[in-house]
Amino acid sequence: MSFWSQAIEIARVDLAVERRLGDTLRIVTPFAVIALLVFPLALGVRLSVIREIGPAVFWALGILFGMQIALRQSAADSPERRDIYALMGLDPAARFAGRAMSGGVLMVAFLLILFVAMVVLYGPSLPPGSTWVVVVSAVLFAIGLTELATLAGEITAGLSNRNSLASLIVAPLALPLVIGASQALEALVRDVGILPWILLLLATDLALAVAGIGLARPIEEATR
Amino acid sequence: MVDPLVVLDGVGVSLGGKPVLRDVDLTVTPGETVGISGPNGSGKTTIVRVLATLIKPDQGGAVVLGADLDSSDFYAIRRMIGLIGHVPALIPELSLRENLSHYARLGGIDEDRIDPVLDVVGLDSASDRRASASSFGMKRRVEVAHLLLARPRIVLLDEATSGLDTEARELIDALIDRTTAADGAVVMVSHDAEALASVCSRVLRIGGGRLEPVT
Amino acid sequence: MTKVRVLFGFAGAAIAVGLWLALTAPADALQGEYSRIINVHVPTIWVAYLAFFVTSVGSLMWLWRKTPRWDRLASSSVEVGVLFTGISLITGMIWGNAVWGTAWDWGDARLTTTAVMFFVYLGYLALRGAVDDPAVRARRSAILGVVAVIQVPLTYFAVNLFRTLHQTQSLRPDGSTMPDEMITAMLVNVIAFTMLYAALLTARLEVAKAEEAAAVESALAGDAVKPPKLSEVKDV
Repeated sequence: MSFWSQAIEIARVDLAVERRLGDTLRIVTPFAVIALLVFPLALGVRLSVIREIGPAVFWALGILFGMQIALRQSAADSPERRDIYALMGLDPAARFAGRAMSGGVLMVAFLLILFVAMVVLYGPSLPPGSTWVVVVSAVLFAIGLTELATLAGEITAGLSNRNSLASLIVAPLALPLVIGASQALEALVRDVGILPWILLLLATDLALAVAGIGLARPIEEATR
Repeated sequence: MVDPLVVLDGVGVSLGGKPVLRDVDLTVTPGETVGISGPNGSGKTTIVRVLATLIKPDQGGAVVLGADLDSSDFYAIRRMIGLIGHVPALIPELSLRENLSHYARLGGIDEDRIDPVLDVVGLDSASDRRASASSFGMKRRVEVAHLLLARPRIVLLDEATSGLDTEARELIDALIDRTTAADGAVVMVSHDAEALASVCSRVLRIGGGRLEPVT
Repeated sequence: MTKVRVLFGFAGAAIAVGLWLALTAPADALQGEYSRIINVHVPTIWVAYLAFFVTSVGSLMWLWRKTPRWDRLASSSVEVGVLFTGISLITGMIWGNAVWGTAWDWGDARLTTTAVMFFVYLGYLALRGAVDDPAVRARRSAILGVVAVIQVPLTYFAVNLFRTLHQTQSLRPDGSTMPDEMITAMLVNVIAFTMLYAALLTARLEVAKAEEAAAVESALAGDAVKPPKLSEVKDV
């Protein structure tokens, strides 16, 4: 099987498992929407301020809850399954790519639902063209965050505190993604160029892809 | 003179800073079924993982199916090794059939062979059950089915028959017979020396990190 | 004719009558035609409260008796309740956007607590979805079903506890704030939607019973594991 065939097979099975477990849509997404509800109540701010902070809150919750999607337990291979995958000749780089693809699909769906909820609840004033900027930013943000979380998940594979440790690794390293995504929309609002921010997202995604694929085998050997 | 499938020469392995295997010598030739017995924690699983090329020795040399574990050649021969470990390696949310299909696709195996193999292992009517809702014995049968599909040259069985009923044990015996008849080899590890003696052509015992023949 | 079809038939007829009354009653002087949404918005939230109350009763009964039918009642009622809460939220947002100029007002405690109630019971459904074993699932969700019902009075009385944009109760012991025709239309719709709830609940209970029967049958699927065909192993 070719590299991409292996990656697609891993992604396909991941999504099939997620369809049965439903963690992303049934648990994480509603949780994130509740967080959208709780935020303004806790801050006790005026409606005008709520309208303004909506997009920023969206990206902040996007990264915090997005990490939970990318690090979901169903995407973690048991040690026994990792052994069988190795013996079947599954390229660890293909496994990384497959996980990043399935995580990316779930995260884009999550972000789009969260964005709609934010628009309804916060009522931000968004200029024309916002939808496309948000969609492009969300896709690039999702790809980057999933790549980063997949890498972190691989580095922490088999450890009892995998989820919390991987989250700790991901959060600071994901700052370029949060900055790029939030500033792209901000730039549109202020009517200045959005391209530098989109390029920042793209460059981060490419760097993470190279790192993930290039380091996949050393990480696999190190975590045996 | 037949080329051996496995040669371990003075192999030593340390895990977590502690030596587990010291100076292990083992040669396995085609058609052999080698049993390795020993108490819990004696290093049986570690030997299996070295033979599976999943662990590189810290000392000594290991050559499996002609590939030296010191080089990167072993990646190419991994597909010729089959493993049934302590814990079944199935994806819980998928059905038994879906697990088998997944492994078949990744291994480049013709999926048309799956149904006949499921019939042979006795799971054709039960294959749509989720792995999480299946018994240990059913999962083991799926693992045997996987090896029947993959046709590995070396089969490694790590406590594979523990907790199984007679039918499932006989199925594993049939897998062993098929492998050795095709000039492959089987290495079985178990704490049950008597069970090994009834199946294996040769039984060794691991003690103090070393292998010794059982007299 | 099955029980479910009869119930849906009666509910459909009642909703038709309620719809006619809703469309022919005089519109509110200030809110205009948008005020007619009250005939869906209020009945659906009342039915949601009823559904979640039924869940709490079913949960308590299961904890006492441990019989599957109480678990089926509790979980089926939550599903219908979540549906009606969702409809109430959406109609409320449409109404709010038309009347207040905003679909969501953060100062409105009733709106926010209703949304929280929606998510509480979504969590109940997520919990049920995460547990395979029927007895464990029933126990865990029964405990949550008893605890979660506190959200119902909290939501209902929120509009009294906080001075907010939301209308206070339309019907109060000291007299109504609405004209008689509107009250009649609303009450008929409350009855109609309650009948719809009964029909949906009954249908869902029948499905749940059938699912359980199928699960029991498949539990005997150990019989589906056959002896291996050892003589064919070498050739497969």
